[in-house]
Amino acid sequence: MQMDFSYKVTWLHKINPSLKFIIIIILFIHLLMIHNINFIINYMLGMTILYLFFTGHPWKRLLIISIPFILIFLTSSTSMIFFGKGEITWIKWGLVHITEESFFRGLHLGFRGIIFATLGIIFALTTRPVYLFYSLMQQLKLKPKYAYSFMAAVRLIPIMIEETQTLHYALKVRGVQNHKGFVGFYKKLKSYSIPMLSQSIRKAYRIAIAMEAKRFSDTVNRTYYYQLGFSKFDMIFMFYFVIMILVSYYAAINHPYFSILDVRDNG
Amino acid sequence: MTTIASITNMRLKFPGVESLLFKDFSLSLNKGEKVLILGPSGSGKSTLLQVLTGLVPDAVEIPMKAEEKIIPESWGFLFQDPDTQFCMPYVDEEIAFVLENLQTPREQMESSIHYYLHQVGLTFDNIHTKIQTLSGGMKQRLAIASVLALEPEVLFLDEPTAMLDPKGTQSVWDTLKDIGKDKTVVIVEHKIEQIVDFVDRIILLNENGEIIADGSKRKIFDQYKHVLIEQGIWYPGVWDEYIQVNRKEFPISNKVNEKPNLHLAEFAGYREKSKKIDVKEADAYPGEWITVLGPNGAGKSTLLLGLMNLIKTKGSYYILDQNHRKIKNFSDYVSFVFQNPEFQFITNTVFDEVAYSIQLEDWSEEQVLTRVNQLLNLYQLEAHKQKHPYQLSMGQKRRLSFAAAIIKEQPILLLDEPTFGQDAKNTFAILEQLERLRLQGTTVIMVTHDLQIVNHFATKVWYISNGKLVEECSASNYTKNNQKQPAMS
Repeated sequence: MQMDFSYKVTWLHKINPSLKFIIIIILFIHLLMIHNINFIINYMLGMTILYLFFTGHPWKRLLIISIPFILIFLTSSTSMIFFGKGEITWIKWGLVHITEESFFRGLHLGFRGIIFATLGIIFALTTRPVYLFYSLMQQLKLKPKYAYSFMAAVRLIPIMIEETQTLHYALKVRGVQNHKGFVGFYKKLKSYSIPMLSQSIRKAYRIAIAMEAKRFSDTVNRTYYYQLGFSKFDMIFMFYFVIMILVSYYAAINHPYFSILDVRDNG
Repeated sequence: MTTIASITNMRLKFPGVESLLFKDFSLSLNKGEKVLILGPSGSGKSTLLQVLTGLVPDAVEIPMKAEEKIIPESWGFLFQDPDTQFCMPYVDEEIAFVLENLQTPREQMESSIHYYLHQVGLTFDNIHTKIQTLSGGMKQRLAIASVLALEPEVLFLDEPTAMLDPKGTQSVWDTLKDIGKDKTVVIVEHKIEQIVDFVDRIILLNENGEIIADGSKRKIFDQYKHVLIEQGIWYPGVWDEYIQVNRKEFPISNKVNEKPNLHLAEFAGYREKSKKIDVKEADAYPGEWITVLGPNGAGKSTLLLGLMNLIKTKGSYYILDQNHRKIKNFSDYVSFVFQNPEFQFITNTVFDEVAYSIQLEDWSEEQVLTRVNQLLNLYQLEAHKQKHPYQLSMGQKRRLSFAAAIIKEQPILLLDEPTFGQDAKNTFAILEQLERLRLQGTTVIMVTHDLQIVNHFATKVWYISNGKLVEECSASNYTKNNQKQPAMS
């Protein structure tokens, strides 16, 4: 089985991976401090533009990937909406108690979840693991030992996907019957994980020996095939967020969708 | 002559194993020699190569000591499995990894990469090609290219073609012979047909890790042939001798007045919505042994998956006059043996593994016990009954996967290269078992690259090319027509 995962290289791909990584971490932390639902809605729009138009992946793939986003949104917002506290009751039905405050708090939480997911997926879709680890070694002085172990592990993933397929066939051939419920799940997990683990451990061991046979050692003095530096795209990336955040904030203050400034306030 | 690598009175022991793998073992290799190390599995051949390179104990921590040890100044190591010797996803990055380790300046890397690829005869439109898309033979040649980047004096080759088809094997050995001419080469291999004319010294080990013989290949072939046979080495002429000794005659299948076990018409198999195999019409009768031949990627394995109802199919497919769509439990009629036996094991002991399929049905405990013991006996596994399947040796695992597959005596048995990577002894044992089943009336359908099997065991050939069954003929006709271009397909 060959998986096609080709994409167009856009400016998002050309950003220094370490810088991208750090900026995204900062954005994650900043996000936690936003409590204005208007702000977060604008923020989300800004992220969506980046996700839809600049990752260089085909539409179909982007849409498929966004399915779990909706799931994240639904699960995180509904629990808050249904069971949160609040004064202005809209619906009360048994345990479910929807209030105006809990409704907006839920929405806010859901949107925040979506932004987290989008940021993460933008990073994943536009960063080749190999470049990320080269950059981590060059800019953030990560030890080659760790960087190359990760790169070797990434290489194993497609091989493992293929093996899962074979294993699936093999179990079917042997007439393995599916049990239902928790026991069935446990049995299935066991029948897949043990052969997969045993194969993976063996492969990892062999790769490690092969790497040492190619004179890999943990010296810091190595040369690099890819030299990753900084470029104008890093500036564009930073400016994009600075401007997006400022505009979102400005719009949230001057043209709010809802008259709520802080979803934590009770009324 | 100068000694390039040597070891004197080495003792080595795997942790947790009672006996020493090597006891007072000495060996010395001279510069420029082409050495072949032969020995049964478990005799420590691979470990020996790793000791001679210093990988043991530097990279692989196995307790050992030696009075004296000379390790070559520069060496390269080629491993067996094409998928587990790369740590980078792209061709250029993989060779660059070696260059980085050697601290080659970045500016020189690209031209070096082209140079080494050229040396092993690999050409790409773009060197930034995914390793995953290469064939096994190309992967091994890429591995040779990255070994060459180390500029080694000595090459250590650990069964480099064990996982390749005949075409890949040929290309890899051609490359190795070419680049190894002026180097010292140490080879561990049990399929030696391709390399006997290349090597000039053979070292024969026994299962206790002792050297039984060491000398010119002439001496070894003259004086130690019985050892080679005993150890299952694929020396040249092993097939001819087997046929002679066993007085094997050409197999005949008697299919007069019999109904086919399997009938296909306008049959097609799909993978991810695209048609991968197409069969106009084909029949398989009881007592037939059909070998499915064809180039890599032609759709041979896909055909088997289709016959096992594991992928989406169209057209008509009848098993014993029943439409396959109406069959509830496919595994009642067809069984399948995979290339890698480990993927087939689903229980924790050898006994349970064999018993699995019949325990799912309402056999009495006594019946199960008799039948399983009978098979364990037949496949020489009774001593290992309580072991976990993974603890078995390569040949034992293969035999176990057979026993487990055939216990229900299904009328059709599908096999995907079951003799792949097996030594001569195991291969003949497998073929004899299949022959026995065939004579009992089972239809055997087997994917293989081995034309000797077609010559001596099969009754019929299905030739697949470009996703189509293009030729269906008797094995004897196929052999006759192809005698002019032997060995390769």
